Amino acid sequence: MGIPILSLILLCPVLATAAVMLVPAGRDQMVRWISVAFSLLALILSAIVWMAYDQTVGGLQFEEIVPWVPAVGITWHMAVDGFGVLLVMLNSLVWFTGVLTMWSLAYRVKEYFAFMTLLVVGVYGVFMTQDLFLLFFFYEIAVVPMYPLILIWGSTRKEYAAMKLMLYLLVGSALLFPALLAIYHVAGLGTFSMVELGRHTFGIEFQKFVYPFVYLGFGVLAGMFPFHGWSPSGHVAAPSAVSMLHAGVLMKLGAFGILVVGIRLLPEGATYWAPLFAVLAACGILYGAFVALRQTDFKFVIGFSSVSHMGIVLLGLNLGVLGVASADAFNGAVFQMFAHGIMTALFFSTVGYIYDKAHTKTISDFGGLGSQMPRAVTIFIIAGLCGAGLPGLASFWAELLVFLAAMKTYPILGAAIVAGLVLTAMYILRVFQQAFFGPRNPKWDGLTDMVGWELLPRAILVAVLILFGFFPNLILGLIDPTTQILMEGF
Amino acid sequence: MANVLLILPELTIFLAAILVFKCLILGLSVLHVWRVAFAGSLLGLGACLITLGMTGEPFHPGIYRVDLFSQLMKTVIAAALVLVLVLSDSPPVMRRDAWRELPFFLLLSSAGLMMMTSATELITLYLALELSAFPVYALIVLHRDRRMGSEGATKYMLQGMVASAVTLYGMSFIFGLSGTTYLSEIAAALPELGSQPLFWVGLLLLLAGFLFKLALFPFHFWAPDTYFSSPHPVATFIATVSKVAAIAVLCRMVAVAGWNEASIDGETLRIVLIVLAVAAMTLGNLAALVQKDFKRLLGYSAIAHAGYIVVALQAFSSLGHTAIVFYTIGYLAMTWICFMVACEVGRNRDTVPVSALAGLWQRSPMLALCLLIGIFGLTGLPPTVGFIGKWFLFSAALEDGQFLLVLIAALNSAVAVYYYMRVLRVAYLLEPAKEDTGILAPSPLVVTGAMVACLVVLWMGVAPNYFWEIAAEAIVALGATY
Repeated sequence: MGIPILSLILLCPVLATAAVMLVPAGRDQMVRWISVAFSLLALILSAIVWMAYDQTVGGLQFEEIVPWVPAVGITWHMAVDGFGVLLVMLNSLVWFTGVLTMWSLAYRVKEYFAFMTLLVVGVYGVFMTQDLFLLFFFYEIAVVPMYPLILIWGSTRKEYAAMKLMLYLLVGSALLFPALLAIYHVAGLGTFSMVELGRHTFGIEFQKFVYPFVYLGFGVLAGMFPFHGWSPSGHVAAPSAVSMLHAGVLMKLGAFGILVVGIRLLPEGATYWAPLFAVLAACGILYGAFVALRQTDFKFVIGFSSVSHMGIVLLGLNLGVLGVASADAFNGAVFQMFAHGIMTALFFSTVGYIYDKAHTKTISDFGGLGSQMPRAVTIFIIAGLCGAGLPGLASFWAELLVFLAAMKTYPILGAAIVAGLVLTAMYILRVFQQAFFGPRNPKWDGLTDMVGWELLPRAILVAVLILFGFFPNLILGLIDPTTQILMEGF
Repeated sequence: MANVLLILPELTIFLAAILVFKCLILGLSVLHVWRVAFAGSLLGLGACLITLGMTGEPFHPGIYRVDLFSQLMKTVIAAALVLVLVLSDSPPVMRRDAWRELPFFLLLSSAGLMMMTSATELITLYLALELSAFPVYALIVLHRDRRMGSEGATKYMLQGMVASAVTLYGMSFIFGLSGTTYLSEIAAALPELGSQPLFWVGLLLLLAGFLFKLALFPFHFWAPDTYFSSPHPVATFIATVSKVAAIAVLCRMVAVAGWNEASIDGETLRIVLIVLAVAAMTLGNLAALVQKDFKRLLGYSAIAHAGYIVVALQAFSSLGHTAIVFYTIGYLAMTWICFMVACEVGRNRDTVPVSALAGLWQRSPMLALCLLIGIFGLTGLPPTVGFIGKWFLFSAALEDGQFLLVLIAALNSAVAVYYYMRVLRVAYLLEPAKEDTGILAPSPLVVTGAMVACLVVLWMGVAPNYFWEIAAEAIVALGATY
């Protein structure tokens, strides 16, 4: 078995949380250094996993199996396939850059980093575990810290947003609760191992009955239309790095859950419901883009763009199930999870910077900001162009694959979504025009631009977007073998 | 001699109570009396641990059974008693002249509760029930605010008396039908008894007294009122120690009646329990939404939790029972943590409104963290035992195919998030109110107790295997009897 590298990655945020809590009060600098050290370590380990993952074989690798509660079949089963490797990397990147983004936080620093790293624990766990119980366990761990993080360090109607988020997500969990237990008991294998449950064929009626619970339960976290209401308000209220984690990785948990629990374990149920959910996802893409067009707050624009972009992920998953262009659809969906994660992290990191300096997020307050903050604005524009699907940036490939699959499966739907792409370009260019270009607003002359280390986290994210924009095969080569295995299930 | 060893835990606690009584007569100071009681409870805990592996019948065969199940429950009771005594060191909220008597009544009631877990004969069970109840009635009256104390005590006593009368009534039915008060003989006669509706009516009435202690709908009215108006340590005792014994008896009675293949009409009992569970969860959670008093809120949350426990109880399976025993241990620790915070924050207050928790993160980060862990536990969020415990409870119901019931229970847990998170919001976000900005410094003993309880909540939540195995063995021991 060798070194349990996945558990080591998971251990990084666990130790970071513990270490941060043990730091004596008032030693804020130490808290920051501990966080950055552990997140860097996790990032390095994730890179090693990526390198060491054997892409020619695919499937689950780096397996660790330790009985956890043998009497009821819960196992500490950690392993990653191509999707897992990619998403673990995403989480490491967002965590590391998130810590750097929050470097200047001064209010209740210790508690902040403790909650934030706890969230990271949950996210890693979901991406790695192959045990249905542990998946749900980590899923909830990832959701819970959002409440205090938004409540204490948030802005703009934070109490409302925090409670709304919590209620939406936990109602989602309430749908999952009986569904996951039913999967376990109906299979009757006495194990929660998703590998073994995946080999079991569930009755078609059962699959049709239980799949909507799984899809809706996880879908709430993925920002699924029409249950996305918590997401924009949560993004807006959360502090920058929490928005980064929230939009960057947390929403991916929902899509990932649909993929590994819904589609992998209940393929026939997924096929049965896919047309309906594909249409809902397409509605989400268009609706998110339309609403983003009218927003006056930077973060609301990004929040609704997330709904729209996560719609692409969900659409890809549903199209993949339908089987006309499965490989493209699944690859596109997973690629989009990664690309959107990096892109939104970059968005929120940059908007957070501008907000910290200007203390406003209202677009119309700005104007000509490009001349005062050229670096920050450039970075924001790169993220924006990525959102609009410009070739040369990572999102382009992801969106292209999903749209191709949509065109092949449902030409009319596909055409509508491609039209949605125009809307995306419109709402992004509108922000550029109103806030960054145009006449210089003397009110903002005093603002300082990003310098030195402030550039570091944003530069990393920009580099990642460009790297995979030019070399999409680095990702496609990683995930395609897993997609092929997934498709054998249909 | 071996028989004495078997009843060592009860005996230790009982002797400790008598010793404390002697100290009272001798006029020892509050501190000394408390020390004697605390030492006695620690010895009692030790005695429980010694007898944990023992099996036998110390008295006349068939009336009193010592096995892993009963001893595990006694250990939990003793541990909870120690924790309650930690908080019972001269609480200002009680009448000054009652400070010395508090430990005595707590010990006496605990002895009764321990006997309940072992009783396998109806009269013994009833006597133990009464022994455990009366000292608590007395304690509530000893509130420093006489009006509040007598109101709370009256409410609790009247309802408790009615419930135990109903229990007695149910017992008379069962005796009338079977001609015996021994559970083992009743179990043997089940094939005949099970087909008679009157038997199930009798059983349900019998359970009433214990459902009352558990605060299940429709025997729940007392819980919020009594929690609210009892002195804080007494409320802690009612909310933790006395629940364990009630759960133990419910498990035993259901194991007698429900597990039997012959009892086809057990379905009726199950339907009643399902209805009660749904009503308790829904009512408890909805009523808790609007509560402004922290202890009252915990009272409604206890009603909801009684519902969750019955969700597993109605499965009539060993998985369900194991889940209940497992959850009970964790529930005890979480509830104690919340009450500990209430005791500390409300040290000089007659009541503990939620607003009194404001600024807790400044006044005592340690208490705030404890409250976070306790509330997360009650809400059912990982990595606490609340999450995994609920998972096991609901799993038992789903094993039986009760998808809808589990969905209702899970949605109920989601509703509960609202009021639990409101408590955390006050404790973690708001600044302290003007009149109480002082730093709270719990005594070292309380801090130790809190650390142990938090550790249990997290340990059971992350690595539940050890506790699960012992709970499963206890249930095997229970099931083997009938």
